[in-house]
Amino acid sequence: MEKQRWQDWIRERDDPRIASTKPEALDDITVLDLSYKSFAGCYCSSLLAEFGAEVLRAEPPGGDFIRKCTPYGILYRGEGLNYLSEGRNKFHITLNLEKPEARDILKSLVAQSDVLIETFRPGLMDEWGIGYERLKEINPRLIYASITLFGQFGPRSHSRMPGYDNIIQAISGNQYDNGEMLPEGKTYDECPWAVPTKAGPWIGWVVAGTYMAVGILAALHWRELTREGQALDVSAVEAYTSLEDWAAVWYQGAGVVSERFGNLNIGGWLYCFAPTRDGAVFLGGLRLEMWQAFADMLGKWDEWGAADWRDLADFSTREEQLKWAERVFAETSKYTSEELVRMAVEYGQKGRLAPITPVVAPVCSPEETMREPNWLDRGIFTPVQDPVYGEVIVAQAQYKLSETPIRTKWVCRPVGYDNEYIYLKYLGFGPRKLKKLKEAGVI
Amino acid sequence: MAEYSWESYKETKFSKPLPLKGIRVLEVCTLVLGPSGPGFLARLGAEVIKCEVPPMGDTLRSMAPFSYFFKDQSTSLIRPNPNKYWVGLDLHKPEGQQLFLELAAKADIIEENLRPGVMERWNVGYRQISAINPGIIYISKTGFGQWGQYAEENRPSNDGAAQGMSGYAWISRFPGRPPLKNRLYVCDSYGALLGEVAVLAALYYRDRTGKGQYIELSQSEAIMRTMSWVWPYQQITGQGAEPAGNRDVSICPADTFRCADDTFVAIAAPDEEEFRGLCLAMGRPELAEDPRFADHLTRLQEENALEILQIIAEWARTRTAEEIERLAEEYGFAASRVYSIKDVVESEHSRARGFLAEVDDPLLGEFLDYEFPVMMSRTSPRVRWSVRPVGFDNEYVMKYILGKSEDEIRQLYQCGALGKWAQVRGRRPPPDWDGKAGLILSRE
Repeated sequence: MEKQRWQDWIRERDDPRIASTKPEALDDITVLDLSYKSFAGCYCSSLLAEFGAEVLRAEPPGGDFIRKCTPYGILYRGEGLNYLSEGRNKFHITLNLEKPEARDILKSLVAQSDVLIETFRPGLMDEWGIGYERLKEINPRLIYASITLFGQFGPRSHSRMPGYDNIIQAISGNQYDNGEMLPEGKTYDECPWAVPTKAGPWIGWVVAGTYMAVGILAALHWRELTREGQALDVSAVEAYTSLEDWAAVWYQGAGVVSERFGNLNIGGWLYCFAPTRDGAVFLGGLRLEMWQAFADMLGKWDEWGAADWRDLADFSTREEQLKWAERVFAETSKYTSEELVRMAVEYGQKGRLAPITPVVAPVCSPEETMREPNWLDRGIFTPVQDPVYGEVIVAQAQYKLSETPIRTKWVCRPVGYDNEYIYLKYLGFGPRKLKKLKEAGVI
Repeated sequence: MAEYSWESYKETKFSKPLPLKGIRVLEVCTLVLGPSGPGFLARLGAEVIKCEVPPMGDTLRSMAPFSYFFKDQSTSLIRPNPNKYWVGLDLHKPEGQQLFLELAAKADIIEENLRPGVMERWNVGYRQISAINPGIIYISKTGFGQWGQYAEENRPSNDGAAQGMSGYAWISRFPGRPPLKNRLYVCDSYGALLGEVAVLAALYYRDRTGKGQYIELSQSEAIMRTMSWVWPYQQITGQGAEPAGNRDVSICPADTFRCADDTFVAIAAPDEEEFRGLCLAMGRPELAEDPRFADHLTRLQEENALEILQIIAEWARTRTAEEIERLAEEYGFAASRVYSIKDVVESEHSRARGFLAEVDDPLLGEFLDYEFPVMMSRTSPRVRWSVRPVGFDNEYVMKYILGKSEDEIRQLYQCGALGKWAQVRGRRPPPDWDGKAGLILSRE
């Protein structure tokens, strides 16, 4: 029998279209998410909820401020667009932790939970009598996960500074050396864009939340072996810093402070964005033969002497990169992005060094990305049919799994939408009790 | 006190167990997207065996900032590769493939980042491995996943390609300027991190059921997942998301400002108290009462946001970053200088927490590495040792893990299934290596 092609075989097993027919990896886990003014916590609990964890998302009665952090102040059916994407699969309850009675309710929920996520300033949960030291007495198996700007200990943990994403990016070190270079002889007044530049998305928050998800899952594995819970501590600044690859070693070894290098790459050649007739492409050739193939693809094999090149390191110094970038950009500017992408694909089939070929990729707007058939086919932009918000597009199915795929059941919930169900399910509170608690401002 | 659980955390790290103790990982990975994932697991205590094709090994071994090599080692290789065992294994050879299968039979997790189908061609794909070890968790990390048009075209990818194709770079720049590639290999590092969420969820599922599984991760899809508002915004408004420089379009005010001394400070003051505090600090209390800035949703509206950010920018130009940091502390909003790598490495706070970890490596000597940034009170992750030349731990892995005899090992070298480093910078040991330091077995 002819063996089925790998890509067909695996697609039959991990296509997001059949995700709902499969089991969920975390469907025996209950997570209490108390995130406040922090997208990091919300993102973290989303990653667990996508795998089937039952996430009880507790907000103050007026809703978390993060719901109002939305581009240009736009609301969709009353909801901010970031939160609309990150309320996924969670049950939303209200709980006013300023009130002692609410803290007792929290303790009852903790007794029945596996994971607690919180993002308050360090010390506040202790002041409320619901810090880890107290809660572990109630539930020794609890995994208590704190995400803050500077972490739970160390001299700066006492800071009261709110930890917004742009602050994380600034302190991480990763904004400082990112951005366009100031052209020689120019000033910031003339080029206000040639400054340390942060990334557009909330990457500081997202990285912190993702690290915490990894920590929680490692702690869950440990708990399976030992029945022991523990406290976890992520400083968002450290989390984002740790994505940096070489600057700290360079500074220690050579005393060099990494500075902005625009669309080139201090870490090596060929690795840059290059201008084209209609936009830009990414060029990647991190092996000598790929750089040679790129020169050949442009018809510059002889003129540039590519046959005699011996070591990519010869091209990777600052001066050489600037020199070669000028030559390369002059060539790429003659073509459209699409032409260059095609040239690389064809070179990989018929070129002198084939199958070796450089990486050439278009630089797309998110609008183009969202229309791209490849991604639509792979299910990342499949609209979610939400019972409250209707059809909504959020990025989903970011990894494909053969046995326990993730899924998005709903995108979001209004504030307190699940109070009735969750308080009944976990604490046996019926309508009369809920009404009283609501009147007392507890939920 | 919260600090109780964290008392002496840094000092007591090594008297605690590691959370992934006893988990064995095989990696066939190059560059950053691949090796970083097992690198995270290695910090959490998994035993990671890194297989490289001898004698040149991982392509990342060639990469270094402006060609600066740290003791002859690639500066970039260090971060993704702590605590690993280094095997020079040639998977092109049948004997090498057989060796890999022997290791796979004893492994819990396999990670690879070659083009789709290559591992299967080498007889070590998921179908072949799961037949001998059904509990295996097997992750493939690529630019475009295992199926779909781009995978069919066998397109290569890099971090920069994913930054370009996802739209991440397009919105991370100043309006009217060309798209800006982020200086981090963010799609590599983040893709790898996100991949471990799936790997560890699969491990938890295996703890419960004994079942393994296959996972595919596309680094482009991983980074798209981080771009939260962008997708519903485009669907709902019918417009493309636009770049906004250092301004956060979802939080107002939140931006980076130029100070009197030409340094830069990031400021954020979106909630009502923080905003009032900022207005007071600027000596402009009336702004807090201004209807254009009445509440957060109002401030976020384009015209109002540009207005208030302009006012703050003019004020910041008359102050130093330090003055603004002090005022933020006093008035209760957020402000910080933009830190350089020098500030990061010299941070006393990170030292005190042990995030900056002192590694005393037998080959590389003493240096600071970043510790895994999740501090775990009972099972502290940690860096123990650093990078090694290609094939450095062959003998240890063959003898201790696979129980091979000296004769068998010799044959494996002879047929080329095993090999060691080339005498090339980035592959060979540091120049001051004494021929023994760091070797576990066979030091004579």
